[in-house]
Amino acid sequence: MWNYSKKLMEHFMNPRNSGQLPNPDGRSEVGSPQCGDAMTLDIEVDDDDRITDVRFMTFGCAGAIASASALTEIVKGKTLDEALSVTNEMVVEYLGGMPEEKFHCSVMGHEALEGAVRDFKRKRNTVRKHLEAMFRDLSWDSAGVLGGTPPGIAHVHPSRVLLEFPGDPGEGAVEAVSRELSGRVGRTVEVKVKR
Amino acid sequence: MKAYLDNNATTMIAPEVLEEMMPFLTHRYGNPSSFHSFGGEVMKEVEKARSRVARLIGAEPEEVFFTSGGTESDNTALRGGCSINPLRSGLLVSMVEHPAVLNTAKKMMRDGTPVGFVPVGGDGLPDMAALAEMLVPETGLVSIMTANNETGTKFPLAEVAEIVHPSGVLLHTDAVQAPGKMELDVKAMNVDMLSLSAHKFHGPKGVGILYVRRGVDLPPFIVGGHQESGMRAGTYNVPGIVGMGKAAEMALEELSAVAGNMKAARDRLEEGILESCPGASVVARDSDRLPNTCTVLFKGVESEAVMTILDMEGICVSSGSACSTGEIAPSHVLTAMGIDPMTANTAIRFSLSRYTSGEEIDVLLDILPGIIEKLRRISPYA
Ligand SMILES: Cc1ncc(COP(=O)(O)O)c(C=O)c1O
Ligand code: FES
Repeated sequence: MWNYSKKLMEHFMNPRNSGQLPNPDGRSEVGSPQCGDAMTLDIEVDDDDRITDVRFMTFGCAGAIASASALTEIVKGKTLDEALSVTNEMVVEYLGGMPEEKFHCSVMGHEALEGAVRDFKRKRNTVRKHLEAMFRDLSWDSAGVLGGTPPGIAHVHPSRVLLEFPGDPGEGAVEAVSRELSGRVGRTVEVKVKR
Repeated sequence: MKAYLDNNATTMIAPEVLEEMMPFLTHRYGNPSSFHSFGGEVMKEVEKARSRVARLIGAEPEEVFFTSGGTESDNTALRGGCSINPLRSGLLVSMVEHPAVLNTAKKMMRDGTPVGFVPVGGDGLPDMAALAEMLVPETGLVSIMTANNETGTKFPLAEVAEIVHPSGVLLHTDAVQAPGKMELDVKAMNVDMLSLSAHKFHGPKGVGILYVRRGVDLPPFIVGGHQESGMRAGTYNVPGIVGMGKAAEMALEELSAVAGNMKAARDRLEEGILESCPGASVVARDSDRLPNTCTVLFKGVESEAVMTILDMEGICVSSGSACSTGEIAPSHVLTAMGIDPMTANTAIRFSLSRYTSGEEIDVLLDILPGIIEKLRRISPYA
């Protein structure tokens, strides 16, 4: 048996934030080349880039399960940048230490977080790219509702965008943009109006 | 501890064995090689032990050499067997051998010995056609275990001998897992060398034997004094040897009485697990297996996590992975059988002994399903 700390064992036996989100804003799947173990990590992110929810699933040892659990507890409520600055050592310390041979198990959690943030940013970039293309070239069906003047892009999120209209958005404009954008992205993207 | 289900790792010492050893740990401390009768009387006990072990495997006492255990016996058999004839220094071993054989073979290969690794099928049995094809004129020794320590699969040694012997090749078998669980007869198995280790059948740790068929011209294992006919020098490990003798006698006497019970208990454990743990499957279930062993794959659940919880509950089992260094390498036995590395990481081995009680199995069956269920809930692969 490994010499695991009380706190590590407690996280292993009662993992926090396990499971998956139905519609994650970012998801990753990573595996450890050292041992063949693997995990998934889902994040939900608000419009301030803050992690509002996070879930993990792990196929791995007690060290891997506990460090994934600890990581989710640490990063929940942090901004993406803050979360990414959480190091492996911090997770190990949070758990009251871990046998050195087991460090690779906690590395997996960190890689999963990086992967989920990367997935979030990739999804967000995809939405932004499509939105910019839609506003550059107003030739799509029902682009007419924008009256030739596209709104400004205030904020982009993988599942919603905040638009700034010069005046009052015309009748059905919000719905039309959302419909076209969702079609292009391949997933429902909500459109909100910045007042 | 509530349940000890790791008897393929080691077994408890039988009370009768300990009792026979005690005088040699206390007042009968004479050196068997001494001139005086205080030592000479002890030699009689060493020879009695040799005869008991010989009877266990159907050999002559002169063909039994005491060693420090299974690992030494395997090392000696491989290195010695390949050095008898310089023109026949080649070695073939199965891919599912214990590290005592496998790593010796790999080291010998690095040092220049031609070594081949015989593949096994999904049933865990060596591929006989491949073995026959891999035999070449330079092959001097083939080493195939009697029964596998992870899966319990028994290997058809007599069949292997039929392939190997006609071309003048020697056959060694690592029978460390066999005593007390199956019949052993070096004549019927038709082997030239055989390794045993006392602690796997309720004897003490650190003592074993290498059987060497009369006429096999093995070089001395360890050079020094004239003990063991000059084959294996070093003052006798008298308590160990005496203990091994008693353990061998008991293994032989009790085999017919206990093998059935052991199998019934193993089957109850196996069926209990399959019924209560979704996604569980038994490795090599349809093969002829030792009556005490079963390895179960728990889909989506990593074995070390399971063992960690079982350990907290006082239940001892093991996994096939070599995890002591932190790098969990999936079991070479399971991967050789074609099981993918991730699935191999879900393997737990349960191994019983004639002392395993029904309560121990009850405790396991009571606790295990909840553990598997709990870990499956957080697994991405369940
Ligand atoms: C099949 C097999 N061979 C060899 C050994 C090594 O024996 P020992 O522990 O006596 O060195 C073992 C036990 O670990 C074994 O299971
Ligand atoms: S050993 Fe694989 S995650 Fe810990």
